[in-house]
Amino acid sequence: MGVIEVRDLEKAFDGSPVLRGITFTVQEGEIFGFLGPNGAGKTTTMRCLLGLLVPDSGEALVLGSELGINDSLRQEVGVLLENNGLYPALSARENLEYYAGLYGVENRDERIRHLLSLIGLSDKADEKVGNFSTGMGRKLGIARAILHEPDVLFLDEPASGLDPEAQRMVRDLILRLSETESMTVFLNSHNLDEVQRICSHVAILNEGRIEAFDSVEKLRKGTDQATAVFTLSDPGQTGAACSLLMAEGIEARTEAGGRVVAVLPEKSAAPVLKILVSGGIAVEEARHLSRSLEDIYLEIMHKGGES
Amino acid sequence: MSVIGVVARKETIQVLRTRSALLSALVFIFIFGGMSAPALLTGGESPAAMLDWTIIYLVLVLGAFTGYIFSGQAFLREKQEGVIETLICSPLSLRSLWFGKVLGVSLMAYIFSLGAAALITVVANAISDVTVLPSVQVMIFLFTALPLLIAGAVGLLGFIQLLLGMRENSLIGFAVIFGIILLLSFARGLSGGGGASYGLIAFLLAGGLVLLGISAYATRFLNRERIVRTIP
Repeated sequence: MGVIEVRDLEKAFDGSPVLRGITFTVQEGEIFGFLGPNGAGKTTTMRCLLGLLVPDSGEALVLGSELGINDSLRQEVGVLLENNGLYPALSARENLEYYAGLYGVENRDERIRHLLSLIGLSDKADEKVGNFSTGMGRKLGIARAILHEPDVLFLDEPASGLDPEAQRMVRDLILRLSETESMTVFLNSHNLDEVQRICSHVAILNEGRIEAFDSVEKLRKGTDQATAVFTLSDPGQTGAACSLLMAEGIEARTEAGGRVVAVLPEKSAAPVLKILVSGGIAVEEARHLSRSLEDIYLEIMHKGGES
Repeated sequence: MSVIGVVARKETIQVLRTRSALLSALVFIFIFGGMSAPALLTGGESPAAMLDWTIIYLVLVLGAFTGYIFSGQAFLREKQEGVIETLICSPLSLRSLWFGKVLGVSLMAYIFSLGAAALITVVANAISDVTVLPSVQVMIFLFTALPLLIAGAVGLLGFIQLLLGMRENSLIGFAVIFGIILLLSFARGLSGGGGASYGLIAFLLAGGLVLLGISAYATRFLNRERIVRTIP
């Protein structure tokens, strides 16, 4: 059984369906990326999981139970939403003390000191949060979310508003929490690069439906259309190379720099290379193209737009 | 400290740190408490009876208004800024959250109301030839019925602010302010010239209990979905 289980989840607002029977599972210790365009239903899914919205049908379980009917289970869950959940009139320390009190954190002074040091805000501990920059507020929001050492951490765009250095800090922190504390992380993000770097599994949501759900590795490799790029010795031959391949029924296109990109039959570059060489085209280099998560995401969104 | 105490403490600190709310409450008490009092204190049976009536009437109105100002910080602003969504993800039940906030906000509004009562007494003595002090009935009112009435009003306002959307809350805000101004304007006309009887104090005490009971009961109708869906 997964730490997070969503089964046939449906939710509509005022008769308009937002989630149309989505299903996915997140295993213990995974960093799970939840992707999708605005209005796809990501926030609604997260709110159903957090027990903030009641599903119309289906289940949204965290640690085997619905948070909406099990308040005590909330102790095991950390949350960083779009809003950092902080009070501008209070200092960083007072904000953390407040949440430590709500979650009954033991050794709170030590834990708060440790977290403030971890996020590099020790010297700002007694400053009002209202004076913080967006990035500092976000970092403090993350510290607040992990203050009570939850088993499951829900993060909504954690790196938004952060400079590149702080983004890296957040990424490293998430990876460390997942590795050392077996914390399961549910990451709601638009940042495909961030998701590709840290997530082990992803689900792509579009118009309330899961369009893809797998490990990042499998999604990138397990494609029906393996492609390769062939760099020709003579850039003037790209047109001829393309025609040659298309005559053999292989989908191909030219690229700048004397390159030809071809969809590989049988997922191997060898037959394509053979056709080119036998056609008198000199090939300098042949390289498999690895699709990025962004390619996959855009492909799915494009298909969705067409349907 | 219990979670209710944790919430109450935070609300108290937050009121003390929010200069705009603090100033609004202070200005309101000085202007309406200090300036309305002389007009209300004159006439009637005796200076002591008028002082009793003025304290009960003005302190109630001012207490309700400071409660409204502070509850706006505790309930409405949290909702407006979205902090409430994080808060209701915590193990804290909605009722505990509501109760903690009511406790913290009411405590501050109550302290301000006691300040208003002291101010009215000072003003009464400044304009009177004889020394006048609040009666035993008024003292009983100040330490029993008043905190309950303020907590009841704050509780009801807090419940409404959590339950309804921003537009509805703005309309309610206007209604509260208009009502307070109306009550202050008609204060002279409402004055019967009489003091505070034990019957009146008992009635106010019962009213406070009922109001608090109603608002506590109303929290049954709060749920997380309702709150989340009314966040702007």
